[in-house]
Amino acid sequence: MSADSQRIWLRNLGYLAAALAILLVPAIANDFHVHLAQTLFYTAIAVIGLNILLGLSGQMSLGQAGFYAIGAYGSALLSSQLGMPLAVSMAAGAFLACLAGLLVGLIALRARGLYLAMATLAFGFIVEIGAQRWTDLTGGTMGIFGIPSLDFGSRSMGKSYFLWVAGALYLGSQIVSDYVFASRYRRNLLALKENESSAQTAGINVPVWRTAVFAVSALAAGMAGVLFTHQSAYINSDAFTLNLTLTLLIATVIGGLGHSYGPIIGTLITLLIAEIIASFYDVSFMIYGIILLTVLLLFPQGAIGLLQKIAGFSRIGTSRKTSQPREPISNSLVATREGREVRGGGPALRIDGLTKRYVGVTALKDVSISVELGTVHALIGPNGAGKSTLINVVSGLYAADAGRIVLGGRDITHLPCHARARLGLARTFQNLQLVPSLSALENVMIGIRRRRGAAADFAAWMTSAHFDQIERGHALLLLQQFGIAHVSDARPEDLPYGHRKLVELARSIAEEPAVMLLDEPIAGLNDEEARQIADVIRRIRNEGTTILLVEHNMDFVMSLSDRVTVLDYGESIAEGTPAEVRSDARVVTAYLGVGLDTEQAKLAIAT
Amino acid sequence: MISATNFVQLLFSGLAMGAIYALTAKGLFIAHLATARMNFGQGEFLMIAAYLSMALILAGIPVAVSAVVVIAVMGALGWALERFALRPLDRFRSLAGGQYSWVLTTMGVALIIQNVATLVWGKSSQYSPPLFSESRSNVIKVFGVGVFVEELVVIVTALVVVAFFYWFLFRTRQGRGIQAIAFNPEAATLLGVDVRRTVTLVFVLAAVLAGISGILVGPIVTVQPHMGLVFTVKAFAVASLGGFANPLGVLVGALIFGITESFSNYFNSKFGDLIPLIIVLVLLVIKPSGLFGEAKADVR
Repeated sequence: MSADSQRIWLRNLGYLAAALAILLVPAIANDFHVHLAQTLFYTAIAVIGLNILLGLSGQMSLGQAGFYAIGAYGSALLSSQLGMPLAVSMAAGAFLACLAGLLVGLIALRARGLYLAMATLAFGFIVEIGAQRWTDLTGGTMGIFGIPSLDFGSRSMGKSYFLWVAGALYLGSQIVSDYVFASRYRRNLLALKENESSAQTAGINVPVWRTAVFAVSALAAGMAGVLFTHQSAYINSDAFTLNLTLTLLIATVIGGLGHSYGPIIGTLITLLIAEIIASFYDVSFMIYGIILLTVLLLFPQGAIGLLQKIAGFSRIGTSRKTSQPREPISNSLVATREGREVRGGGPALRIDGLTKRYVGVTALKDVSISVELGTVHALIGPNGAGKSTLINVVSGLYAADAGRIVLGGRDITHLPCHARARLGLARTFQNLQLVPSLSALENVMIGIRRRRGAAADFAAWMTSAHFDQIERGHALLLLQQFGIAHVSDARPEDLPYGHRKLVELARSIAEEPAVMLLDEPIAGLNDEEARQIADVIRRIRNEGTTILLVEHNMDFVMSLSDRVTVLDYGESIAEGTPAEVRSDARVVTAYLGVGLDTEQAKLAIAT
Repeated sequence: MISATNFVQLLFSGLAMGAIYALTAKGLFIAHLATARMNFGQGEFLMIAAYLSMALILAGIPVAVSAVVVIAVMGALGWALERFALRPLDRFRSLAGGQYSWVLTTMGVALIIQNVATLVWGKSSQYSPPLFSESRSNVIKVFGVGVFVEELVVIVTALVVVAFFYWFLFRTRQGRGIQAIAFNPEAATLLGVDVRRTVTLVFVLAAVLAGISGILVGPIVTVQPHMGLVFTVKAFAVASLGGFANPLGVLVGALIFGITESFSNYFNSKFGDLIPLIIVLVLLVIKPSGLFGEAKADVR
């Protein structure tokens, strides 16, 4: 048995042991401890959701108590007023919370960072006040009595049954969380958190992901609220204040934000603290405040971070060591293209009358370029000519004011960035856009398309250590071909600039694009590195990929390009083969200004 | 429907609360402008200032003197917040969620302040003595309608402070320093702006603005330890309504918010105060940069 499969075996054994432990708690613990364990399990579910939201997607929510309350009231009212069976009312409660999460997620879609924190704070506040004052529905501070308990009709065994349900739901959530942290979900969420442009251009539908993760965290909070309701058969509005949100946040950061096991540890610590300070009720807020400050200022990595420090690990669980692929999947850089090839005889990329205006400046004026299939087409021009703007408009980061962009016969002018990427348009950036907290290899993996649905991937993850072997292998192969496989586990910040450029190039090649847009691929590189990039570009061109290239280095452009378009002040002033462009008088003037002897200028531009 | 008298009275109390929201939100605005952070305990700062002012006035200290004392204390509190709860976080920016640690540390400070207020003054609501007139219910005739003197003076004072604030931000060296670091901290350093001192100044200013709001708001609402959250939430709403990037928008947004709230409270006493908040949330979905904010692209 290899070390990897042993690890998976041990992990699954751990899940089994946890399930057994949950089963055994009622046999060995007294009522008080059973109650504590119940609370631990359902609270941890809410914290798991918050951990994924904040720790992975980087979205702050100050409204989790609102979702929790919607789940709690939803199930309480449906079961006690309408007499629905608990299974139905609980599912409905969690669903309502999820729905509210989708609505609030709509705000997350448009508003970022601070606005989102504010909006969620206001949402939580509105729910809190609503619960207090809408007394006809919620009973306000008097509360709702006679909510059915989740005891399956047995008074004596009820507590154990509840514990088992809460424990099972917790364990399920934990396993899902573990999968999220091990799979492409973690990579994609970190990408959209840390570098939205690169996430979009790698084909990630950022708005959908943002909203979905919000809905998932709301669902988790709603599940916790539902369980809370049926734990004690009574709820009132005092339970759903901002303090609940803060408690969940405290549990998230105490445990260790961005670790899959942070939530359970953090929730445990928070509950223990709550028990200890219960007798100092007068100063409990102060103690919570001091805890928040202490943890964030002195131990920002939380309990897990401390444990790792003690144990001497540095980055466990964030990026696992990559084993070399057993056999190369293919010698080709562009492994499979699955019908994304450009059909028909037309150009791979056609830009028609493209115009882009900024306030006061027309950056692109009626630019038309036809990039033929399987060629390297260079775009040159003095600084400020509009080259990067053109790349940004074509890749979809900026909207065009006029004109058409046609990719392989399909009009993509009005498609969002990620949709263009999925149709086979990849790009690199002039100033690198890598995801800082992912390793080089994982950065490349962002570009690789998913091969199977979430359920199949989850099943593979449950049973095999090599569930993502093909993606890993493909990414590693690319790094190998670029001669940087030895740094595949390093973070971008630890890599020299040239390596980072190669990693970004590898990521865009991993997308298996039909057309690649390269924005200054060799700027800042030394000669050897530039030669390496030139080789790569030739190879992918020879394998059928079309390339639109922006670059200032004339030697590089002239030796590599099949055609060259020259931009000046946002207008296309010349197009042709490198030799034709080199001898074009307008080009010479654009580069060197008028009044220069033409022969002299030609000489200057040629060297 | 609504009588003319009611209308004018509601308008003025709306303007008064709007002016308070404007002052409180200015504090958020200036901190966000310069540092992209802000104090999530702005409302608790307001609350503690209201209590301090109340206590000093009840102890027989003249209103003007007590105001100066409260403002000085609030300035010190703002300094301490920046120095001990915000600046140390700069080391951890790269950690998971590290970019939002400041939300939680400022909330931690807010919890502590709230607890202190409860310990000192108790949980129940209290009435702060009027600042400018004999009694809280003193009225003056405006267009033949009785308007509370306190409200009128609050409006005037708040507008004067806001005007002073603009003068400071646009006409003084320190104010321009704040705008410089808002634009680009590194470039500002090269131009001789002391970034650290300016950031500290910003949080002192924000706390002072919360302090002035607290002094002014005491006599027109009831003071209690949990009042802070309401003001934090509304100040945020107002600041985002105006667009965090637009100083004039904050003022206009605050006044619209205050008036809307005053009228919605009149028509629905139970949920009236939530209506403007819900409107702001919906507006955020439709126009995320606020009514007066400019859309900014941040792609390269």
